[in-house]
Amino acid sequence: MSNRVPGVDPSTSSSSTSVTRVTPSRRLFSTIEGVFNEEVFFLILCVFIGIFSGLAVVCFRLAIDWTHLALLGPLPQTHNWRLFAVPSLAGLVVAVLVLHVFPGIRGSGVNQTKAALYIFNGFIPFRTAVGKFICSGLAIGSGQSLGPEDPSLQIGASIASALGRQLEISREKLRLMAPVGAAAGLAAAFNAPISAVLFVIEEVIGRWSAGILGSVVLSAVASVVIVRSFLGSEPLFRIPVTAFKGPSELLAYAVLGIVGGLASVVFAKSIGYLRPRLKALPRWTQYFQPALAGLIVGLIGFLGFPQVMGAGYASMDEAMHGQYAWKILALLAVLKIVATTVSFVSGSPGGMFAPTLFIGAMLGGAVGGIEHIFFPQLTGSTGTYVLVGMGVLFAGFLRVPMTSVFMVLEVSGNYEIIVPVIVANTFSYLVSRSLQTVPIFDLLTRQDGLILPSLEEDREEAILRVEDAMLSVPKTILSAQDYVDANFRRVQDSTDSAFLVRMHPSGWNIITRDKLQRLYQEGKGELTLASVLPAQSLPSLYPDLALDSAIRYVNDYSLIPVVNRADSRRLEGVVSRDSVFRKYGGMSAVEVPSAT
Amino acid sequence: MSWKVPKLIPRSAPVILLVLTLAAASGFAAVSHLVNRYTANQQARGRKLHAQGQIDMQAGRYEDAITAFRAALTCDPANSQYQLSLARALRDSNDPRRLDEAESYLLALWQRTPQDAAINLALARLQAHRGDIESATRYYHNAMYGVWDSDLDGNRNRARIELIKFLLQRTARAQADSELIALAASLPLDDPGEHLQAAQLFSQAQDYDGALAQYEQVLRVDPSNSDALAGAGETAYRSGNYTGAERYLRLAVEHNPEDSASRQLLASSNLVLGADPFHSFISDAERNRRITAAFAQAEERLTHCAQQLGIDLKAMDNPPSSSALAGLQARWLLTQPDLKLLRSPAETDLPDAIMDVVFQIEQQTAASCGAPEGLDLALLLISRKREAASQ
Repeated sequence: MSNRVPGVDPSTSSSSTSVTRVTPSRRLFSTIEGVFNEEVFFLILCVFIGIFSGLAVVCFRLAIDWTHLALLGPLPQTHNWRLFAVPSLAGLVVAVLVLHVFPGIRGSGVNQTKAALYIFNGFIPFRTAVGKFICSGLAIGSGQSLGPEDPSLQIGASIASALGRQLEISREKLRLMAPVGAAAGLAAAFNAPISAVLFVIEEVIGRWSAGILGSVVLSAVASVVIVRSFLGSEPLFRIPVTAFKGPSELLAYAVLGIVGGLASVVFAKSIGYLRPRLKALPRWTQYFQPALAGLIVGLIGFLGFPQVMGAGYASMDEAMHGQYAWKILALLAVLKIVATTVSFVSGSPGGMFAPTLFIGAMLGGAVGGIEHIFFPQLTGSTGTYVLVGMGVLFAGFLRVPMTSVFMVLEVSGNYEIIVPVIVANTFSYLVSRSLQTVPIFDLLTRQDGLILPSLEEDREEAILRVEDAMLSVPKTILSAQDYVDANFRRVQDSTDSAFLVRMHPSGWNIITRDKLQRLYQEGKGELTLASVLPAQSLPSLYPDLALDSAIRYVNDYSLIPVVNRADSRRLEGVVSRDSVFRKYGGMSAVEVPSAT
Repeated sequence: MSWKVPKLIPRSAPVILLVLTLAAASGFAAVSHLVNRYTANQQARGRKLHAQGQIDMQAGRYEDAITAFRAALTCDPANSQYQLSLARALRDSNDPRRLDEAESYLLALWQRTPQDAAINLALARLQAHRGDIESATRYYHNAMYGVWDSDLDGNRNRARIELIKFLLQRTARAQADSELIALAASLPLDDPGEHLQAAQLFSQAQDYDGALAQYEQVLRVDPSNSDALAGAGETAYRSGNYTGAERYLRLAVEHNPEDSASRQLLASSNLVLGADPFHSFISDAERNRRITAAFAQAEERLTHCAQQLGIDLKAMDNPPSSSALAGLQARWLLTQPDLKLLRSPAETDLPDAIMDVVFQIEQQTAASCGAPEGLDLALLLISRKREAASQ
């Protein structure tokens, strides 16, 4: 890792100061320059990434709004020919742009950002940001059932990557630029920094890493500040009064979780089934796929459900305030799954966050409505079920359980519903995981021929610990304060070849039978073991440590003591080279899931 | 096509940061300009849609108004006036499912400016729609003591009057009474219109003394106000003050001869005054004459009522439902000989005893055969007045 600021050549700067008189301003400049080591510089850079991403996302949102207003009007009315004509024509334009000008911007952008981190050393072409901005803006603004969040994430990542390359920062830092920019973009789009940070950790980085957390948080907060300064701090929804009265109501939310989990599976399987098949069709069909998707979505709108068009935040808001009967809500959920599936698999660039929230919201309201018919004593309002439903689909479809909980809390600003949200999300997550083993983003990545690390796999990976390879405490343990001859007599009955020695006042050492015998024969029987053993103690391990930590010692020591964390003199057991490798040898081979 | 951006930034940390700062500032300025222009356009569009919504709202086209206000809000989502208008339209659309949405808009506005009287009044009306007396009263009070743009006292009184009407509608008499007292104290002395309205509210609350006081206040400022005269007469009539009623109603009829309701009440008042044997300032002979006439009238009313119901009062096998009328017939016959003793100075309780039979007959026949007319009505009113006085 380079520890200097990129581009600064110390040799040239020192030679120049040696031949010219150092002025005060020059001295000040040098002092300032000295302050910026790479770590500090990177953190400051993260703030700038947040600012630039925030500005880009503000423009992106304006572009979507403007496109929507210009093409469909402020409130699209049913039975208007524009409803199906506009998305179809816009789909044609998008297809031409995607195939000829901006290749590689299909889909949501989350996978591409993850691939940039793990495969392309943080490289995302700046063209991606431009393409995503134009094509997603046109697709979403014209009514395709896609959301602006994932494109915002990729725009942020692309800006960060471009900036990192411009500044020639080290490869390690450049790799981190993508998630930093992604967090900034997503936080700006959602106006929710915590959820954005958690999503990036859960889905983009794919593992918990304290090292990058600070940078990601800085960029996310900076971008949210920028967005709020332009677009106000109004939340995405006007949250109705929500309340959670008693534990018995949790059953109702558990049912919602199960239904949400099933819906997530249907949604994910539909995309997983159709996407590769449409991609496999002849290239000329790809010019018409987005247009066909636009036609289908437009027809749904034309026939009476314009709510499914676009991101649909206004409709979610209306559902939250009990504007639709449960039958309409259920129908909207089904139609949105259809509309989003066709929009997404057609290759139109756009995200799945908003549609996921929409489906969850409608499903939550519908399930809540049905439950109220059969159990009128339930106190949860429609708004509460809608909010919980959003989290349910997030947990089940996107498979980001942490993000799903915090997203609902951040969007609602209401901590009273945390218990229903956790219960429902857990059920949804478990149902979805048991019926659809591969999460949607991993599925899409594998369909594209890539295999990237995933936090879910990480969570499920069996970790071997020291206690798994631990042998029981040896019968013969020698004391360093006893004489050699006394210790020699004690080992006579043992068949072991090496013995642990308890040092005084603490620590452990090891001595072989042969060495003990040699000392005895050399007439050193009157000496204590402490005086003849090397001063350096034997390393000791704890039972809960990963077994990997034992590997570095097993070649040097035949026995390694495993001690209690509360009392290092208390021996819990020992590990040996054989016991460690026997454990690794017993593990089954890591399975690589197939592409589908 | 090459998309490589040339390396433009110098290779020195302070300079890089300076350049990034300048770029961020420029970007901020550029986006500000863009957002301002866009916002201005949107606001203009929003104003147009809002104005359309107001027209629809005034015409009672709530669905169109809601659509227009929603569209206005998509153009200018943070505009509190649009939010308030939409909330009002949602509230007034007579769709109970929309009350929640209206409430969330209003609560969001209320959290920003809890002292705003218009928002509190809108919230109060919403809670009134729901029938939540406690919340509605709280918001009405907030509105009364909140910040109004103009005409503080007038708006405050109007809000209180609305609250009183709501409380009376929900039969929350005790709360309405306290609000009426506060209203009476806050009304300007020289505004007959407001006192007239207050008097009607007092009357609705069956606080006839309070109502009469308000009507009299109107008459002090405008003695020929026929509404006040009729109202005062009716209030006095309802409270059993037939002398006062006669005075006000006579003046009311004089000022407005077409006021048939007052004329009818005046006739009833005159009948009561002419038939009441307990009226002060009448001679013993007159009292006895009135008692005798009332007794005869009661018998006639009883007979007519029995005929109307198909009951033969002389038959022995009357159904149980007719036993009340038959019992009264028996009491009447039993009391009839006492009429001759009326002149006796020793029989001081006799007028009350005879009139008690009359009153019972009038009350029972009113219950069995419907509202009486003429002298019977007068006797019934006298009986109620006597009852009220004894309670």
